[in-house]
Amino acid sequence: MHVDPFRKEIIFKIVYYGPGLGGKTTNLEFIYSQINPKLRGELVTLKTKEDRTLYFDFLQLELGRVNGKKPRFHLYTIPGQVYYGYSRKIILKGADAVVFVADSQSVRMDENWKTLADLEEKLILQNKSLTSFPWVLQYNKRDLPNIETVRALQTKLNFFNVPFHEAMANKGQGVFETLRTAIQLALAKV
Amino acid sequence: MTNSFNNNNNGNRWVFSEASFEKINGTVNDLCSRLKAHVVVFADMNGYPISFCGDTRRIDINNLTAVGAGTFSATAEMAHLIHEKQQFKYIYHEGESQNIYLCNVGEDYLMIVVFNKNTAVGMVRALTAHAVKKLTGFFSELQGEKEKATEFLDDEFRSLLGKELDKSFRL
Repeated sequence: MHVDPFRKEIIFKIVYYGPGLGGKTTNLEFIYSQINPKLRGELVTLKTKEDRTLYFDFLQLELGRVNGKKPRFHLYTIPGQVYYGYSRKIILKGADAVVFVADSQSVRMDENWKTLADLEEKLILQNKSLTSFPWVLQYNKRDLPNIETVRALQTKLNFFNVPFHEAMANKGQGVFETLRTAIQLALAKV
Repeated sequence: MTNSFNNNNNGNRWVFSEASFEKINGTVNDLCSRLKAHVVVFADMNGYPISFCGDTRRIDINNLTAVGAGTFSATAEMAHLIHEKQQFKYIYHEGESQNIYLCNVGEDYLMIVVFNKNTAVGMVRALTAHAVKKLTGFFSELQGEKEKATEFLDDEFRSLLGKELDKSFRL
């Protein structure tokens, strides 16, 4: 978090983490498409030629004045592919909260676990842990066939009983609810 | 009055004093003016702009800083890969009409200078190095000036922020 009382700004860093092709960028694209252009910056995407996130996506949101202060939110996604581990470490640095975008499809459970373990490893490097760090789970792709039930997902992924939301990021369902929860968790930690 | 400082010590965020911020602002403005730079940004390595000046209407400072901080961090890993003991001190990108010079300010901050071909890169390096020296000198004076950022985030703000989020996100 970054506080600037001269400009009366408070900036929060929210990082979208999760396996590749899980819908992290789709979350940001939906937010970008729905927010008043006066209250957001341009969506920065650093992609490969194959349209996969290479380094990160970045979107800045603001809410106007709240009690005379100007809250801003810096939203980042991480590249999901395993070989971009260093990029993830860098982007996670200084995060105030994490949105873990899990893929609800049964065949993707292994990837969800691996990425969650990777997140914990990266947090430990910063002397943090999933047990106490503010994070929220988003069970994405609820509209696809062959998905796990929410109960099964809760058992398999939500070991620490953190808040969760079901989502269909491509249709916008659950996107803002998840972001709101992440912001509230970040604020509660200050 | 206080300003930003990204250190997170046991969950407490600390902020600069007004006097320190004025010194930082003065250094950044002076550098921008002496180089006739398009933009100068002093930011932290997490991608938060702290002080900036120049043509900030045409250049999105937040996006520039986010990508600049990411670039700088990536080169730190490149240094590590080639067994360089310290991170690289600066990065220079030369464009057709605009150039970008990035350099670290201690371990936690960076400076971004956007300038055109009318300014020699050697001059940018020299004057930026001078500004960086001044800034690192200020940081050593910071101890004892810290305040908790929590003092800025009062209960009323927290409560109103939730309502504003619902309104903006149409929840």
